[in-house]
Amino acid sequence: MTPTDAIYVYGAVLKGTPADVFARVSGIDPATEIRLVEGGDVAAITSVVSLEEFGSQVLEAKLRDPDWLEQKVQAHNTVLAAALGETTVLPFRFGAIYNGEEHVRAMLSERAELAPALSRLNGALELGVKGFLDGAAVRDRLSRSRGIDSGDATGGRAYMERKRLEQQLDDDVRAFATSCAEASHERLSAAASEARANPPQYQSDAAREMLLNGAYLVRADREDDFRRTVQGLEERFGDDGVTYELTGPWPPYNFVDGEEAEAP
Amino acid sequence: MSTPARRSGELMRSPAGGQGPAQLADVLERVLDKGIVIAGDIQVNLLDIELLTIRLRLLVASADKAREMGIDWWEGDPFLRRGQKDGELEHRLKRLERAAGIDGDSRSDDTD
Repeated sequence: MTPTDAIYVYGAVLKGTPADVFARVSGIDPATEIRLVEGGDVAAITSVVSLEEFGSQVLEAKLRDPDWLEQKVQAHNTVLAAALGETTVLPFRFGAIYNGEEHVRAMLSERAELAPALSRLNGALELGVKGFLDGAAVRDRLSRSRGIDSGDATGGRAYMERKRLEQQLDDDVRAFATSCAEASHERLSAAASEARANPPQYQSDAAREMLLNGAYLVRADREDDFRRTVQGLEERFGDDGVTYELTGPWPPYNFVDGEEAEAP
Repeated sequence: MSTPARRSGELMRSPAGGQGPAQLADVLERVLDKGIVIAGDIQVNLLDIELLTIRLRLLVASADKAREMGIDWWEGDPFLRRGQKDGELEHRLKRLERAAGIDGDSRSDDTD
């Protein structure tokens, strides 16, 4: 480390974790390797970064460069993901940067909640499940099942009646989306230790609406059960125009604060 | 978006576990919005990060849709509505969008 260097911290693992867990990944600066810095009962996952890239003078401009940010955010995730299946990892948010190892150690000692948080996670994985709704398909199905689409009726009264039925269909599609999202999240939560329902991500394809963007903390030995639960949902709601996407395993980003998602 | 149509195949794939980069929107959501917040020696303005997240999401989604997204992305969402008052969120997003200069952004659609 030189005076123009700083230390980037990705997250924490328990003290005594072998450094070779991270041997196959490079740091957020691809020329650097991962080092574990111990303090208190934990160790910080770190790598050296240059102040020319991460110093407060330049960082603001760097953060405004989407290509740079995408690369660094992916690198941050790749480092943490290297621990999956090896040891429990506690992810930090992007951008914890220190001027020296002694500052990192001081932070680790002050943050007494890190070790209990690692114990609580105990190797559990985060899985993401997104549910997508083909709204037009649902509408068609509802419409057919009610025999609407008798387009031969004319006149003001028939028009008003059709308008009313259309509005009813729209409402019913919304109601279906809401109940499907809630039912899906409920079943997935039951197969997980903890659950979070995040805001749906924007979809540029109007025919594909994200109705669920959930994150689930799953014990490693329950991962197969959880995947089967997702398949069960596909079987249950697939014919209704709903598809699911499973992502992960992820480091448990959504479960670092220890809040329970649902009351027991 | 060039989203693949085959869903059942995707179900068993694990894009985050070190087998190549994960979908950008998923990584952004986690690395910039979640995880323990630790204030290091170098100030990384969290408001900036928040702006950037929104900005990047808009770029991912296509800048053309930015305004539309500002209005639509939480509508009909049962979970968001549960926690937030619509007006409050709308106001916040508008303020962030203005600060991010998204209104004047003419970047072309950049799908992942």
